[in-house]
Amino acid sequence: MSAGDSYTESQVIMSTVKIVTPFVLTYGLFITFHGADAPGGGFQGGAVIGVVVLMLAFAFGIEPTREWLDNRVVTGLIAGGVLAFGAIGLASMLLGGAFLQYELLPIHHPSRYGIEGIEILGIAAIVSGTVIGLFFATAAGFTADAFAPSDERIETQRDDRPRTGRTEGEE
Amino acid sequence: MIENVPALLIVLPILVATLPLLVGLRYERVGWTVAALTTTAAFAMALWLALVIFTTGEAVIHQLGGFPRPIGIELVADRLSAPFVVLATGISMGVLAYTRRGGPRGNSFYSAYLLLLGGLLGLSLTGDVFNMFVFLEITGLTTYALIAKGKSGESAIAALKYLIIGTVGASMYLIGVGFLFVATGTLNMIDLATAIPQQAGYGNPLILTAFAFVFVGFAIKIALFPLHTWQPDAYQRAPDGATPLIAALVSTVSAYALFRLVYTVFTVEFLVSIPHASEIVVTVGSISVLAGSALAVMQRRVKRMLAYSSVSQFGLVVLAYGLMNDTALLGALVHLIGHAIMKGGLFLAVGTIAAGTGARTVKEYAGLAKRMPFMAGSLAVLGLALVGVPPSIGFLGKWFIAVGAIEAGIWPVAVVVLLSTMLTLGYIARLLERMYFTPAPTRGGAPEGSLATDGSGNDPTPGAVSAGMLGVTVLAALLAVALGFSGGAFDSLLGPFIEVILNG
Repeated sequence: MSAGDSYTESQVIMSTVKIVTPFVLTYGLFITFHGADAPGGGFQGGAVIGVVVLMLAFAFGIEPTREWLDNRVVTGLIAGGVLAFGAIGLASMLLGGAFLQYELLPIHHPSRYGIEGIEILGIAAIVSGTVIGLFFATAAGFTADAFAPSDERIETQRDDRPRTGRTEGEE
Repeated sequence: MIENVPALLIVLPILVATLPLLVGLRYERVGWTVAALTTTAAFAMALWLALVIFTTGEAVIHQLGGFPRPIGIELVADRLSAPFVVLATGISMGVLAYTRRGGPRGNSFYSAYLLLLGGLLGLSLTGDVFNMFVFLEITGLTTYALIAKGKSGESAIAALKYLIIGTVGASMYLIGVGFLFVATGTLNMIDLATAIPQQAGYGNPLILTAFAFVFVGFAIKIALFPLHTWQPDAYQRAPDGATPLIAALVSTVSAYALFRLVYTVFTVEFLVSIPHASEIVVTVGSISVLAGSALAVMQRRVKRMLAYSSVSQFGLVVLAYGLMNDTALLGALVHLIGHAIMKGGLFLAVGTIAAGTGARTVKEYAGLAKRMPFMAGSLAVLGLALVGVPPSIGFLGKWFIAVGAIEAGIWPVAVVVLLSTMLTLGYIARLLERMYFTPAPTRGGAPEGSLATDGSGNDPTPGAVSAGMLGVTVLAALLAVALGFSGGAFDSLLGPFIEVILNG
């Protein structure tokens, strides 16, 4: 089943999403930026940011949204997030400390902004990218060859044909 | 410098795992090259780490973020974890020689491959019980993805089945960790070993419950009977190039983690002071040995047969955990390492044979010795090593466990251990008989009339088998035999560690 089949254009949903989206995105960023010293964090914020794209997809159709948001953006978010996390961690190792030893970073308030960097650049990017990517992957559904009988099953049939009373059970 | 190696070993594969995806946006088929370079670098680092640990005798500890124990998370590489780090990096490097030609291809496969390596190394090196849960999940999730890479719908179902059961297992472990934390207020393994008797006492219901959850959670991950039901499907349906890696490493490192938890966190005093704790461990292992072997003998598909064989072999390892003497524990660790090499090699041979001839059932292996002599030979050598025919690593492991059982004076267990050898022979001999003593079917006139004579699957397919696929399988067979002479080496490397955990 392709993604476009279930889409129906609805003025109500489209208008609502248009109004709500900026607020949801702001709220997602708000939660993300509050990771270091207040309740919040990259996981929760990233999930909310990812949901923004899901809402757009429900309102305007999954295919148009997928074309609008290039696959490279999603891949870049996930991979870039991992690389950012690793880079911050390894930077302190290059400076002679342990992995993720924030106080060695040559920045203002290193512990706070180090954690913020991990939360915002790393975790929030990974989580939002994964939420969007999984949504698109699920919406695309299985391709036809995923349901084709495996070569093993063909062999099983071939195997079983000459013999009727099989003694050795497999499953 | 050396103290950074444990962190680098985990970070490197995980960071590099993004490269096949990123570079793959522009270039196709960069995954293999990236994975080969990374695993080689990781293997070199692992060897260096092992060399330092075994020459100095000191553990290498990396305190993440510079926070000391018990507040911070530690990565600990010691005499126990070093061999498993070398094993994980070495096998993941070797299996790549198969996947170059044998597939699966695609950049996302190699991303998952590297993430799995990162998870396994994390599981081997962490010194924190909660951190271990995180790496257990990374390992699990990437394994589900690798299994689902199979082309058929059945692969997806097998992956889903493993996902559901595996998540239950990991969750049970996490619940156990929760109980430990409630009872002691710490998550660091070394800290827990002293905090459990001091703050809670071994008989504390919280500690007992924690042990039960941790043991059952890992019994699922290791695939002990009767919690093994995900494992045969997973091994059989995973792509041929992924099965050797999964079968060799995933359950092995889980079994290592169980050893680490039982002997470093709960300690041998816990097993001694709690009535029936060690007996339960031994019984669960023994049942797994017998049931796994019996199920393996009944299988028609070779991959499935070897999968049930793993249930039996891991039963043997867990059984030895419960015997609590140095010979048995040494045997358990040697058999863990040996089983990884042997089972990885067996699945490599099976994959190569399937690529070359299409043979996948025991029946189709008839006359294989003539069609693929090297693969049949490797399969035979690895199979006999698994049975425990000397000289082989399989013999060493089983011998130590058997001697340990006799030293412990638990005769029924000694019988089970010796019986396990006979039972292993039961299913390996079927393969040997087919390969060497049953004539290959001839076109149109197969003597049994039951073979796939109408298909083209039995003809060797030129170009499907590469020198790398053959080479790595033969190498595994040679390694399994060569390591059979390393009993003294294993004893001198691992002996001191076992001495410490048993006698304090």
